[in-house]
Amino acid sequence: MVIGMDKAQRIANKQKQISISEFFEKNKHFLGFDTHQRAIITAVKEAVDNSLDACEESRILPDIHVYIKRIEGGKLELIIQDNGPGIPRDSIANVFGKFLLGSRFHAIRQTRGQQGIGITGVVMYSQLTTGSSTTVLSKIEAESTAVKVDLALDTKNNRALKSNEERIPMEEWFEESGMQTLHGLRIKTVMSAKYQRGRQSVHQYLRMTSIVNPHATIRLKVIGKEGEIVDEGEWVRSTSKLPRTVVEIKPHPHGMQFGTLQRMLKNTKERTVKSFLRKEFEKVSPLVAKKILEHAELDEKRRPAGLSVEGIQSLLAAFMEVKIQSPPVDCLSPIEDLLIKKGLEKAIDSRYAATVTRNPSVSQGNPFQVEVGLVFGGDLPSDGAVELLRFANRVPLMYQQGGCLLTKAIESIDWRRYGLEQPGGKGVPKGPAAILVHLASTNVQFTSEAKEAVSDNEEVHDELRRALFEVGRGLQSHRKRVGQREKSREKFDLINKILPEIASKSSSMLGREAPDLSPIITKIMNAVFCEEQVIWEPKEKLAKCSIRIYNYTARARAYTIIAKWPESDSTSIVKNEKGGRKEARGLWAWRLDAIDPGSMASIDFTVSGLNKGDWKEAEVFYRGNGEMIGSEKIDETLLEEARKQERLQEVVEEFVVPGASTSSHEKDTFSLDSNIVSSEVWEAGDKLF
Amino acid sequence: MKERIRSKEDTIEALHAVAAEMHDRMMRGEPPRMTLPVRSKKNINFDERLNVYKYGKKKTIRDATSLGSAHQLLRALFVTEFMEEMIEGQKSSTLREMYYISEGWGYGKFGSQNESNNLAEDLEIVTGCLREDFKLRPEEDGARIIGNLTFEEKNRRGEWMRINCRDDVGDSGYGVPYNVESEKLRLISHDIDFMMAIETGGMFDRLVENGFDESARCGLIHLKGQPARSTRRIMKRINEEWGLPIVVFTDCDPWSFRIFASIAYGAIKTAHISEYLATPSAIYLGIDSDDIKAYDLPSDELTSRDIEALKAEKSDPRFQNQEWADQIDLMLELGEKAEQQSLAKYGLDFVTDTYLPEKLRQKLGIQIG
Repeated sequence: MVIGMDKAQRIANKQKQISISEFFEKNKHFLGFDTHQRAIITAVKEAVDNSLDACEESRILPDIHVYIKRIEGGKLELIIQDNGPGIPRDSIANVFGKFLLGSRFHAIRQTRGQQGIGITGVVMYSQLTTGSSTTVLSKIEAESTAVKVDLALDTKNNRALKSNEERIPMEEWFEESGMQTLHGLRIKTVMSAKYQRGRQSVHQYLRMTSIVNPHATIRLKVIGKEGEIVDEGEWVRSTSKLPRTVVEIKPHPHGMQFGTLQRMLKNTKERTVKSFLRKEFEKVSPLVAKKILEHAELDEKRRPAGLSVEGIQSLLAAFMEVKIQSPPVDCLSPIEDLLIKKGLEKAIDSRYAATVTRNPSVSQGNPFQVEVGLVFGGDLPSDGAVELLRFANRVPLMYQQGGCLLTKAIESIDWRRYGLEQPGGKGVPKGPAAILVHLASTNVQFTSEAKEAVSDNEEVHDELRRALFEVGRGLQSHRKRVGQREKSREKFDLINKILPEIASKSSSMLGREAPDLSPIITKIMNAVFCEEQVIWEPKEKLAKCSIRIYNYTARARAYTIIAKWPESDSTSIVKNEKGGRKEARGLWAWRLDAIDPGSMASIDFTVSGLNKGDWKEAEVFYRGNGEMIGSEKIDETLLEEARKQERLQEVVEEFVVPGASTSSHEKDTFSLDSNIVSSEVWEAGDKLF
Repeated sequence: MKERIRSKEDTIEALHAVAAEMHDRMMRGEPPRMTLPVRSKKNINFDERLNVYKYGKKKTIRDATSLGSAHQLLRALFVTEFMEEMIEGQKSSTLREMYYISEGWGYGKFGSQNESNNLAEDLEIVTGCLREDFKLRPEEDGARIIGNLTFEEKNRRGEWMRINCRDDVGDSGYGVPYNVESEKLRLISHDIDFMMAIETGGMFDRLVENGFDESARCGLIHLKGQPARSTRRIMKRINEEWGLPIVVFTDCDPWSFRIFASIAYGAIKTAHISEYLATPSAIYLGIDSDDIKAYDLPSDELTSRDIEALKAEKSDPRFQNQEWADQIDLMLELGEKAEQQSLAKYGLDFVTDTYLPEKLRQKLGIQIG
């Protein structure tokens, strides 16, 4: 992959300067440097977030190394290195030496380091606490040498002071960085800080980061004063699928606040308010712009910069009165459920994982999307509170758990009915589980500048609850299946192992004939049993699902068996001798005629297009009379609902395709989008007007 | 005194009946089963004729429709087969040995020693045999006795050995063997007025050191908590054959009440043989609940488990008389319990010089010294 000079340059230029360094010098707690334990976490966080963002934009699979070394005087040396695009020589001072505001006011999209402050804070903290400068080693692909430079800050004038700048030949770059790529970045700094392990630690931060960035490989090594290893971690990528490119969008009128609008009016190049509205906002057509201005009683020809305070206020009021289409939602980058599952499984050993990615939604002009994952069982400790993993735009939130909207949504659900302990049906549940919550949005609202807790928002809260209900239901039926499987295994042991032994032992002791067991078995079981199993065939790369129906009742039975399978554009059913038919998306049905008493019927099929571990458990439903242990009777109303959704989806896709092609989206992004836009988004959009 | 050791043939026949109940049902196409009396306090009744508590009419059917019960049936077959082999081969084994032997029984393997002990008792009940008939010995060691009593015990060489429990033993006393029936142990002579059973080892040793057996002319027997079958059986024989009263000296807590009940009325687990083990005339000497106040003894608060145990005793048929109801209610009301050793508050001799003489006078009318 060739990353041109202009690409790296463009990323650097997009950040605009603001002179607030002095302010931050006095308020370093805003930057997360309030304690020595936290300082190192924040430093790692700022650097890693930047690395991930840069790699994502340049479509590079990130390899990130974090080295921390304890040195004398309560200090830590921190080295962070990535294989990202690197930073052009002329931009280094800007990126590291000034407090910057990102593209926030001019383009809206979902990024990690949303507000563009941060890495400079690391440089400053290092300077303030140890007097050291920060060394940057950067290599961009277009140049044959790397740049090495020491940076210090002139906080009064908000600029960086460079020293010891030198060019490093390619061979030395390879040697010094240990990397084989032609591009990358290495930062080395020294700061007063303390390395600690535990819930709030660099280790935990990187672990969480790796969960939501399954495409990244992250390594951590912490060395003590005597060279001993204090802590280490390695999280290897579990997918080579990069998060899809996020599309920039302009602000939507519904998300506007006074200050922002005032600044936009002042800075715009447009000559009239009408063209300002049309060019600087999403979904404002000439007709909509005209209506807005009519409502605001403003002349179309007015110069944007000339609007009075009253004028701006009436414009804001008009935004809410005129019908405006919802903003597009393809600017979001969800992790997507299968990848969350992979991320969770990489970091946590468990028996069961369920994930839900909700469709994108809109709140106050800001698109957002929630994702939830739940893992259960295995090695997870069963006595304590459930581990909560909170993320906003793929960034782990590690502090202020109690005050965060994401926590509140989890606490608002009665988890007892899904099989977790929860005194009083409120609060963080207990049990062998971990819950992941991810909020992706172009504008995540935090409770404070520390950006550790998401602030209240009713629409986000409701969406979160819907997603949590869904994983909760999944957990509940998993537990039910496990319980039933246990029960039928017991019964099978009883009739296949214990009963024959009782018969042979008693007959041999008494010297009598052996009894016929079949009528006894029917009496003991007196039920129909269903067993399912999904196994992975590594050679053929197929998931093989076997379903067995045993009739241990006194009469013949007939059923329709319906199995849930992971249907998607990339998966398909390969071998399926029993045939059957598609019942709905992800549901396949087979008709089984007359299973005689004491006999068994089997269904086997394989699915291609999956990876190992993607599908571990098949849900099996039946249509027919009586109970079937190990299977649930299909809920016909839910099935009908699913079919309806599917038809709607098809209709939506048909309509979205021609509509989207008129916009400037690239073809590959658009085809991904059509999968996630559903009827619900349109409904939600309509409700806003 | 009844002697009830069965012949080899009778025992094997009784064991075969267990297998036959299962086999017969299977031949009829029904799940195999075993019928047992309910072994809980809900199914023990006072037997007027025997003067002890016995199992009532409530039956529980253990049939092979659940995995747990089917396991039990298979185990019962393995155990009966094993017993038959021992009887034929003239061997015997301990309950614990049987538990380990079951390792080789596949699906018939026991999950814990408790399970194998319970099954041995189950088989006693359904066959009407004693575990001695099955050639099963308990692991538990019997009690210790000190005092001027003379027994004859048949040793391993088959010779009768005469032992005086005061002169022929060391400080730890005479160790009661697991079999105390007359083919193994004979009661020869004594020069005492009563037997005192003591719950804790510490108190037993205190009374021995203070020479209480001589000063009070009594035999001392250490119960080691809930007394073993042989301990209860030897007390019963001493009481019946020598006509000596049995007095029971325990801690003051709900568990001590149960120890006394198993000595005097019969234990729930062994209600099928209560008439061989229980001594209905035994007397509870103390420590009584009101002693805590009367002697101002150091005490502990009742735990929630203690309170549960007391409440359970209120519905236990063995405690359904005014005296016990008062004792239990008083303990619940005070909310306190005390150990035997708490008497040491007033010095090491207080128990032998003051407390026991007072209680004996009060409850038995015996004057000491």
